[in-house]
Amino acid sequence: MKRFSLLWLAGSSLLWAGVALAAIRPHYGGTLRLTMRQTPQALDPISLVQADASNLARLIYDTLIVLDHRGQPEPSLAVGWQAESGNQRWRISLRNGVSFSDGTKMDANTVAASLRAANPDWRVLAGTDTVIVQTAEPHPYLLAELALPRNSIVHGGLQPSGTGPFSLAQWTPGKHLSLSATEQYWKGRPFLDSIELDFGMGDREQSASFDLGRTDVAEIAPENIRRARAEGRAVVTSSPSELLALVFSAAPQSDEEAHLRNALALSLDIPAINNVVLQGGGEPTGALLPNWLSGYGFVFPFQASSERARQECALAKQRAPLLLAYDASDPVAHTIAERILLNARDAGVTLQLTTHGPAGVTLARIPLASMDPQTSLTELTRTLKIPTPAFTGNSAPEIYSTERELLRSRRMIPLIHLRTAIMLGPNVRQVALFPDGSLYLNDAWLEVQKP
Amino acid sequence: MSFRRRLLLLFALTVLVSVAAVTGIVSVMTRRAFDRANDERTAVLVAQFRREFTRRRDEVRRRVQAAAASSAAERMAVAAAQNSPDYSSFLDDAQVLAEAQRLDFLEFADDRGTIISSAQWPAKFGYREPLAQQSPPADAFLKQEETPSGVVFGLFAVNTVAAGDHKIYAIGGTRLDRTFLSSLDLPSGMRVMLYENVSGPFSSDRLIVTGDPVQNPQALAPLVEKVHITDHDASSIVRWDSGEDETVNAFPLLGEKNQTLAVLLVGSSRKIYGELRTEIRSAALLASAAGLLLAVVLSSIAAVRVTRPVEELARAAREVASGNLDTQVAAHTQDELGVLADAFNRMTHDLIDNRERLVQAERVAAWRELARRLAHELKNPLFPLQLTVENLLRSRDQNPKEFEETFRESASTLLLEIANLKSIIHRFSEFSKMPQPQLREVSLPELIQGAIQVYEAQFQKMNINCRKEFSGTEKIYADPELLHRAVSNLVLNAIDAMPKGGTLTLRTSATNTSALIEVSDEGTGLTREECDRLFTPYYTSKAHGTGLGLAIVQSIVSDHGGRISVKSQPGEGSTFIIELPVRRELLSAGGTHA
Repeated sequence: MKRFSLLWLAGSSLLWAGVALAAIRPHYGGTLRLTMRQTPQALDPISLVQADASNLARLIYDTLIVLDHRGQPEPSLAVGWQAESGNQRWRISLRNGVSFSDGTKMDANTVAASLRAANPDWRVLAGTDTVIVQTAEPHPYLLAELALPRNSIVHGGLQPSGTGPFSLAQWTPGKHLSLSATEQYWKGRPFLDSIELDFGMGDREQSASFDLGRTDVAEIAPENIRRARAEGRAVVTSSPSELLALVFSAAPQSDEEAHLRNALALSLDIPAINNVVLQGGGEPTGALLPNWLSGYGFVFPFQASSERARQECALAKQRAPLLLAYDASDPVAHTIAERILLNARDAGVTLQLTTHGPAGVTLARIPLASMDPQTSLTELTRTLKIPTPAFTGNSAPEIYSTERELLRSRRMIPLIHLRTAIMLGPNVRQVALFPDGSLYLNDAWLEVQKP
Repeated sequence: MSFRRRLLLLFALTVLVSVAAVTGIVSVMTRRAFDRANDERTAVLVAQFRREFTRRRDEVRRRVQAAAASSAAERMAVAAAQNSPDYSSFLDDAQVLAEAQRLDFLEFADDRGTIISSAQWPAKFGYREPLAQQSPPADAFLKQEETPSGVVFGLFAVNTVAAGDHKIYAIGGTRLDRTFLSSLDLPSGMRVMLYENVSGPFSSDRLIVTGDPVQNPQALAPLVEKVHITDHDASSIVRWDSGEDETVNAFPLLGEKNQTLAVLLVGSSRKIYGELRTEIRSAALLASAAGLLLAVVLSSIAAVRVTRPVEELARAAREVASGNLDTQVAAHTQDELGVLADAFNRMTHDLIDNRERLVQAERVAAWRELARRLAHELKNPLFPLQLTVENLLRSRDQNPKEFEETFRESASTLLLEIANLKSIIHRFSEFSKMPQPQLREVSLPELIQGAIQVYEAQFQKMNINCRKEFSGTEKIYADPELLHRAVSNLVLNAIDAMPKGGTLTLRTSATNTSALIEVSDEGTGLTREECDRLFTPYYTSKAHGTGLGLAIVQSIVSDHGGRISVKSQPGEGSTFIIELPVRRELLSAGGTHA
């Protein structure tokens, strides 16, 4: 009797363990529903990047290279690479057996054509299962650049198709996108059958949709992260990635203008803005790159000094108010702009807010482009339309000095690195945010809810 | 100015002054009545404003109270009671509560004055709210509030929310804007405006108006400034660009420290008064015009009845002055003018009588003088005649032998004296038969040249230098023969005055109305007494002569309507000056003077 009980106990334990294992093991099937703020009007990679919808590009397309969580290049559509001639010529070997969603096989010509379209300054040659990229200047961080969503490999003109895990099923520009799983995806079919995306929804709309159970994954604005957690939602955040900064339209034209920008920078109570307006949804910063990416971000100060600010203002001899532009559709941006105006006024700097027309300075949000610091800095300067720094190496001191020179140019005043955040429905699994804020859905699956 | 014009002016002034006085009185009374009515309407409207204001004040107090009683406010108070209060989670709470309570302003501040949450300016968290740092007023009050769009004006109330020993303040309010003004019931012709934020220069952006916009808001600037400075009511009449006037009464709206924060402006149109005033003025102008017309008519009538008799009198007086004493004036009325006319006529009668008596007396005197002169002149020659005849009788009786010689001598003497008598009688006859001048155009230089030509030989014999100073070719209307005789007499007298020689100067000159002839000698000169008697007939200073020469000259000059005078001093010679009229129509009785 005693032996039978022991056996029965062991057997039932094994059974329960099996059931538990079965419960957490990924399932195939299901449709993941997402809501987004953005309103992309086209599905080619460049349009998606410009619409701040790079996450979509990763669903439909692949890049030759991907970066891991440490920013190191890993093979994707490329299986190998070699730098020649002082990093001015790169030979990249392509993966075989990859097809686009329209059935076209991926070859060196399509890859070369795709790269040329995205990078007119490059010279891209197609070989046999290889492409050769030649640049005018040494390009030591070409691999990180190839990992950017805008360098996704795309085939086709008006109806672009990619090699990504999902392919286009239905598309209403700016409103709705239906993606279906690519059965023959070269990395293996994704668990999800399809993904439904609704665009152009604000934070409140997304929250309401989430609460009504119509959305599985919704975006959360940085200032709402704390409240969402307090309300018991499943919130996933990235590392501080998106840079909130004051961006000037031109370099200072005189010493007085430089003093004025210094006065403005010294007057800002950035921690108060982060703690109160953004509810701690970011990290105050004086650097362009977040500390977790560069490792030296803490070196650049951001503390306010009202006395020094007033001294700088006295040297500035401001004659006319400085126009500060902000996004009128973003109430948080409005509050931040108002706070900046008040801080500046305390130091004697006169600002005037505007929501349209040319302005001397703009409150802007610039997403982190890459897990590679060099590439991030380069993409940042391209976004801000300021001269791109030339890197000869990728050491931390060099990146630091480049960033320091950019900051000294007073083209921008960094304020806060914002986190990207999403809230997940109760049955959503394996949806992750990379540290740079990019959404990873390739391994996502939906747990079946017991009635 | 003529009497007629003065009369017209007097009548016109009387009418104008009367009309102006009446118009002024009526205008003043009308304005006062209008102002009284306007003041009453304004007082009613201000009372209505105060009632509405009180109601609004109570409402604000109630709403702020409700906001302070909310759970969000309680949470803030609890957070404020912590040692290190964290207000970050309350950023939007004030805005939510303000919307719920329909408040335009709502702020929560702790007892240190730190703003916890602000509805009107969310970014102001952490800044100081001065009202929370002092004892806030218990009642609702007016206050200026800084917002992102500028300083605005509202009605505020403060409530406290306690949490243990700590408390926070809820400071809320509503804006006094167009909505508030629109709630007032305005009488016709009146409007209400609100000027908020009196500090700084006047700006039309701060003027809140109900109804039609104000044409030129700057016209209200002086009134607003006055209220701001004095903190008292004021009023003025504003003339708008359209030409319409409006009485604007301004009332200060005071804050919690009794400082003027805003100005309530109550406008009352003066259009009706303006129209009435225009009608009064038109009526006055019409009355003035009619009055002036009447004045012209009356003055003309009065002038005719008064000035014409006076003009007749003046004309008659001029006739009398010119020598026509027969002038009479008709007396048409029995009033003062008639009496004056009668008196004038009596005067002329008396003048005529007196003149006749005078003429008779002068004639008698002249006859007596003539008889005396005749007796004197004739006595001289007659005495030698008598002696000669007596001598003849004696010689015949006493010396018959020398009678023949004596007879011849005596006959010669008798003939000489008889010739003398005949000369005297001839001159008398000549003087009595002086003809009237036959006037014709005469050149004075030519006439004088002709007169002295006869005496050229005598000038040389007597060593007399004849100097002629003719200024031109003066021409007059005169009798050339008589004038020749006059000039000759003067030249003869001058020759007689210079027995040892000298310079005889003859000058002519002329003006527009008269011509002058001067005859100057370098003789012994005349005394004043001699000058006075010089032109008397038969007076002479010479040893021989009839004394009629200068009287003849005077008679000729007088008949020409001129005058003769003499300038002389003993030892300095004499100058005879004949002044003759140039124009024929100026001939009249002349006179003499020295």
